Amino acid sequence: MKPKVAFFDFTSCEGCQLDALNLEAEELIDLLNTVGIVNFREVMTEREDNYDIAFIEGSISRESEIPRLQKIRSQAKIVVALGACACIGGVNCLKNHLSMEEALEIVYGNDAKYYDTIPARPINAVVTTDYYVRGCPPTTTELLGVIKALLLGKKPDIPNYPVCVECKMADNVCVFERGMTCLGPVIRAGCNAICINNGRHCWGCRGLVDDPNVDSEKDILQKYGLTVAQVVEKFKIYNTYAEVAK
Amino acid sequence: MVTDSVLIVDDEPIVRESIRDWLKDAGYQVTTAESGEEALRMIETQDFGVMVVDIRLPGKTGIEVLREVKAQRPQTKSIIITAYPSVDTTVEAMRLGAIDYLIKPIAPDDLERLIRETIDSVRRKSMVTTEVEILPKPPVVEVVEVKKAFVITKESLKSMIESLSREIEVVGVKSRHGKYVYDKITNFEELCLDYDITVTPPTKYLLPAKETLLKFKLGDKTKVEPVTDATPRAIIGLHPYDIKAIELLDEAFITTNPDPNYIARRRNTIIIGGDSLNPSLKSFTPSMGTHLTETGFDLMLTDIGFDYMVTVGSEKGAELLAKYAEVREPTGDEIAKQKAVRDEAQTKYKTLLDIPKERLPKLLEENYDNPYWESRSKTCLSCGSCVMVCPTCFCFDIQDEVSLNLKDGERFRQWDGCMLVDFAKVATGENFRHDKASRFRHRMFRKGKYIVEKYGRVGCVGCGRCATACLADIASPLEAFNAIAESSRIKEAAIRIIRETRPETELYVPRLAELVTVRELTTREKVFEFGLRDGKPLGHRPGQFVEVSIMGIGEAPISISSSPSRDGTFQLAVRNVGNVTNALHKLQKRTLVGVRGPFGNGFPLETLEGRDLLLIAGGIGLFPLRSLIQYALDHRSSFDRVILLFGARSPTERLFLDELALWSESPEIEFHETVDRGDENWKGNVGVITTLIPKLEIDPKKTMAVVVGPPIMYRFVIGQLKKKDLTDENIVMSLERRMKCGVGKCGHCQINGVYVCQEGPVFTLAQLRNLRESVQ
Amino acid sequence: MKQINVNVHQITRVEGHGNIVLNAKNGRIEELRWEAPESPRFFEAMLRGRYYQDVPYIASRICGICSIAHSTASIQATEAALGIQPSAQTLLLRKLLYNAEMLESHVLHVLFLAAPDFLGVGSVFPLVETHRDVVLMALRLKRLAYNLAEILAGRKTHPLSCVVGGFVKLPNVNELETIRERLGHALVDLDTVVELFKTLKVPDFIRETEYIALKDPKEYAFITGEIASTDAGTIPLSDYLEVTNEFCVPHSTAKYTKNKRDSYMVGALARFNINHNQLLPRAKQAAKELELVAPCHNPFMITVAQLVETFHVVEGSINLIDQILDRGLKEENNRIRVRAGRGIGAVEAPRGILFHDYTYDENGVLTKANCIIPTNQNHNNIQKDMEALVPTILNRPENEIKHTLEMLVRAYDPCISCSTHLLSITIK
Repeated sequence: MKPKVAFFDFTSCEGCQLDALNLEAEELIDLLNTVGIVNFREVMTEREDNYDIAFIEGSISRESEIPRLQKIRSQAKIVVALGACACIGGVNCLKNHLSMEEALEIVYGNDAKYYDTIPARPINAVVTTDYYVRGCPPTTTELLGVIKALLLGKKPDIPNYPVCVECKMADNVCVFERGMTCLGPVIRAGCNAICINNGRHCWGCRGLVDDPNVDSEKDILQKYGLTVAQVVEKFKIYNTYAEVAK
Repeated sequence: MVTDSVLIVDDEPIVRESIRDWLKDAGYQVTTAESGEEALRMIETQDFGVMVVDIRLPGKTGIEVLREVKAQRPQTKSIIITAYPSVDTTVEAMRLGAIDYLIKPIAPDDLERLIRETIDSVRRKSMVTTEVEILPKPPVVEVVEVKKAFVITKESLKSMIESLSREIEVVGVKSRHGKYVYDKITNFEELCLDYDITVTPPTKYLLPAKETLLKFKLGDKTKVEPVTDATPRAIIGLHPYDIKAIELLDEAFITTNPDPNYIARRRNTIIIGGDSLNPSLKSFTPSMGTHLTETGFDLMLTDIGFDYMVTVGSEKGAELLAKYAEVREPTGDEIAKQKAVRDEAQTKYKTLLDIPKERLPKLLEENYDNPYWESRSKTCLSCGSCVMVCPTCFCFDIQDEVSLNLKDGERFRQWDGCMLVDFAKVATGENFRHDKASRFRHRMFRKGKYIVEKYGRVGCVGCGRCATACLADIASPLEAFNAIAESSRIKEAAIRIIRETRPETELYVPRLAELVTVRELTTREKVFEFGLRDGKPLGHRPGQFVEVSIMGIGEAPISISSSPSRDGTFQLAVRNVGNVTNALHKLQKRTLVGVRGPFGNGFPLETLEGRDLLLIAGGIGLFPLRSLIQYALDHRSSFDRVILLFGARSPTERLFLDELALWSESPEIEFHETVDRGDENWKGNVGVITTLIPKLEIDPKKTMAVVVGPPIMYRFVIGQLKKKDLTDENIVMSLERRMKCGVGKCGHCQINGVYVCQEGPVFTLAQLRNLRESVQ
Repeated sequence: MKQINVNVHQITRVEGHGNIVLNAKNGRIEELRWEAPESPRFFEAMLRGRYYQDVPYIASRICGICSIAHSTASIQATEAALGIQPSAQTLLLRKLLYNAEMLESHVLHVLFLAAPDFLGVGSVFPLVETHRDVVLMALRLKRLAYNLAEILAGRKTHPLSCVVGGFVKLPNVNELETIRERLGHALVDLDTVVELFKTLKVPDFIRETEYIALKDPKEYAFITGEIASTDAGTIPLSDYLEVTNEFCVPHSTAKYTKNKRDSYMVGALARFNINHNQLLPRAKQAAKELELVAPCHNPFMITVAQLVETFHVVEGSINLIDQILDRGLKEENNRIRVRAGRGIGAVEAPRGILFHDYTYDENGVLTKANCIIPTNQNHNNIQKDMEALVPTILNRPENEIKHTLEMLVRAYDPCISCSTHLLSITIK
């Protein structure tokens, strides 16, 4: 019996789900042979509420999303957070630095009173989450890796070391030596340093490693010329929730 | 012809005759002698091209034969064969002119090939060798010899490299983002031979960041085959310190447990080095003796202004020059210039080690508890940059990957490092180097002491890459060593010789074993009985372990729980804690798994013989200890008293209930048992296992204690045993570490300078007193 | 008493969450609305206080399908505000990157989201059995678009190498040459799609409305030009607010727009209607074969217009690659000097015209942002279309009405989660 897989999204850009279909033809056929996709609103009309593995994209930023997420949790055997929003809150958490009233006012002006929102949070703030596929967006390799591991009955092997390891393996010259600053030393690897490979630095979309030396990283950022405000800003984009939760 | 004649000297008729028959079929003239004396009589009247001699002979030894043959028949080439290779004998044999040695049992085609190569090279030397293009003056070079230096113009070098790149892959130093890296060279102008340092070292071509070891196909008949990459390649521009690093890797990957993947790459790599004349600011190679090298390269280039001096370092290098380049003899001025530029380069180094490097191992040993390790590592990010850019780092992780069809897969290895947080973590969650200070200290000890003592080569080549890469600015071993420098006397490390040996293509390939029976012991422990598919016994000693493979899931180290004296099968008792053990627990009878090993040293049976045994098992420590208990019972007369103490956490966690019952009844074994906490039905002792020790009456001079259990148990049990006056040599323990490759390469199981998979997991307390990390 | 109740909750095969509600009794419509109760994203608030180098990176995350569109609009708005002129090489690379997204988005919509309706199935997955070659081809085209984006910017979703001022990493020449060949083969694949579409029946429905798109005198506009309207001629970018006229409707969740009429349309059909003369030859030919003639007022033909545009971007990409290879790629030093300023970036996202309007302070920190996304601009048009369409099909079975309304919404290829503002519902 093929395990049943479903995709759901909350407050998100839907990029993670879309990338899930970014497969070579043989890969898609292999995938459809090994799992049954029973619920994937973005690409199919049929849906079943009986699924084994639920992939969830997006963070929770409205009251109404909470019961919907809890229902999915109750129906799935395994819940996997897909993408930065679901795993660590994502860029949606930038809003949390404002009060909800302020945020509503900026966007809706006088009509703010008609809309509601709550501070954005990752899905594990609401339901138990079994596995994480990190990144903004995650690589297809990592998503497939998690699916394969679950099918084989083993724990997905996600690194607990920083991006620097993969960045050096890819033979990059460190961006600190090229006039940029980077969060790589405290951010979890698994992306093969794709941003640095393409001329940028690490923004931290995969979240912190288990035991990051954030103080040391902050000192290093200042040593390389950032002001305290700029250092704080760097951590805001993806790691607002992690910082607050500490 | 004389050259085709071979003399075989071995006292074993089987060896003599089988080699003789094989070589005769291959067309050689073969004579045999059954002793050293007979061989020496023969050479008085006969000349031989090659002599194959066993080291161990009755009467005159192989070494003595070598000595005399060298004196009387200097042109005869000798090959040593031996069943017991030892460094000392081999060194001596090589000094006496032996060209190689082979370990018994000999593969006849290896021997034949070696003999053929020897004879061919002799033939070659006797002919006029390669001619090299003549430039008007000075004199023409006719024979390109190893270790000689010549002058090569830039044009000739360019043409050589470009010709070479038409035939094989050529990589060299290029600039990237204002720094330098090794990458493919498409034209000579890209090459930057005057670079200071590359970001990552050229060792990545011998041990790449990610490399497939095995390919497999899952199914009813799982197929596994080893994969190697023998792409021919030339690396251009290696500085002496990187060449020295490669010599270390050769030692680690070739000498013991020859690694087929490394060897395939190494054999097909041409090394064209370049002197380091513009050192980086953080480099301290002269302090480590690696700023110059006379060995390890095929060719070495020195920039002497308009042209280059090229030193030939091997036959391969000589061939390259002969085939692709125009060279001439250097003038006296040019030879002086080469020395001058090297001397000048040496003045450019600003950072120096404050003590001679030979003193480092002792210095470090004496400073194990220096507070420096803790204070310096506070800002460490555990980012791994230092180990990733280091030329002498070679630890790796091994993982399985399958494709989406869940059928095809591969087992690969990728770089890992002791500075990463989870490096020494085991499946149960314990991390034997869980804090920054211990990891930081381990790295410095490895570079300054363990590698030196284990391989006889410098562990840190002083390149300074880590010092540049470290954002927290704490990685430089120079700074660490200088910071704790004190004067001490250090003994010289042993010199070893690297030679090419038969690579074990199957080093990482598991053998098939079939699951014969499964028995549940508790809710999370089972005992599995396996038999090797080929019907052979595993041939293990009690206390050894195997690496069990379930292709696609991974490989895990598991102690063997049964004695080799039983059945012909072997048993593994396993607790369900990780991916592989999880998968094991789901297996049905008759399923096949992969097994490598047995590995490790096992319990010291010879020392235990004739003594009183005090066997202490805490919880699943009983799993490995059971193999010894069964062995002792099967060889009961070899031992005097046999006392067994077993402690479980609770009655439901007792293991092997039927055997426990058997042992408690048996007159052959004094059995005492306890549980940490009882239940309403338990009538026996309650209390931790240490409570069983005081009431024992033992003779401390005669008793040897063998203790296996969870780390926390050791300290307290040892405390009690010391109260009973047992000496450190008489207390034996089996330690757990994260074993991965099982063959002393991947680095995960290290305790200080030893690899647990090779020199352990069984240690005496006396040995452990010297291994500081073993105390938890 | 014939009762029709259509309640489509979270319509499938569109990007984002939308609902269709229709209640009719005895031929009288009591309730008819298109709702998009998407969670608000608050990007306009979140971009405030961000440094200019981070702004396009974050803005890209407004949408996962058209991240390149948002990224480009954001970069252009920032460059306009800071007074930066991109080089000729940068423009070529940007247009090529943009084509990659247009190609992917249109292929996704035409073949994966809309086609199943025409073929009578619920998704593309069953087509693997019945129309295997078509599915493989659709995947091939999608992969081609992804690979093109990867060559230029590292990845397609949330691109990396494109920054304010240019590109921090140039594409590899060999890879450009290889993909140029694949683009050539893609034209053959697209011909097959045209043949397939010729056999499908597009519902016949006409409602005239205003069409708005970018217009550039030199080429079919995607990332350059000024605003053009079929009713009102050309309008400079700086006056975009007068065109969009966003307004809120209480207790609904989106802002509507209108210009000269009650509603207007943006997107592929709008672009076609305004700029069809500038299409490249293969696209013009495809339009002819598919009987798409300007002006076309049938929203169901939006999908066909997208297919026509697909030819255009493939042929256009081949031309761009030839130009780039001819000039040769050179490393450019993109030094930026920050200053205070306001700038507007407008692009044609696959679904229609998109505006990013930024104000920066003298330190390069964003103080104000306004983003108007295409789907917002279409919501009102969808509503008006439904109001015109439903009376003409009210006598059909309920299932058919539901399906037709879904097809109507899908034709617009709405991208609702881009909603930086929410949609409003009006009950008429």
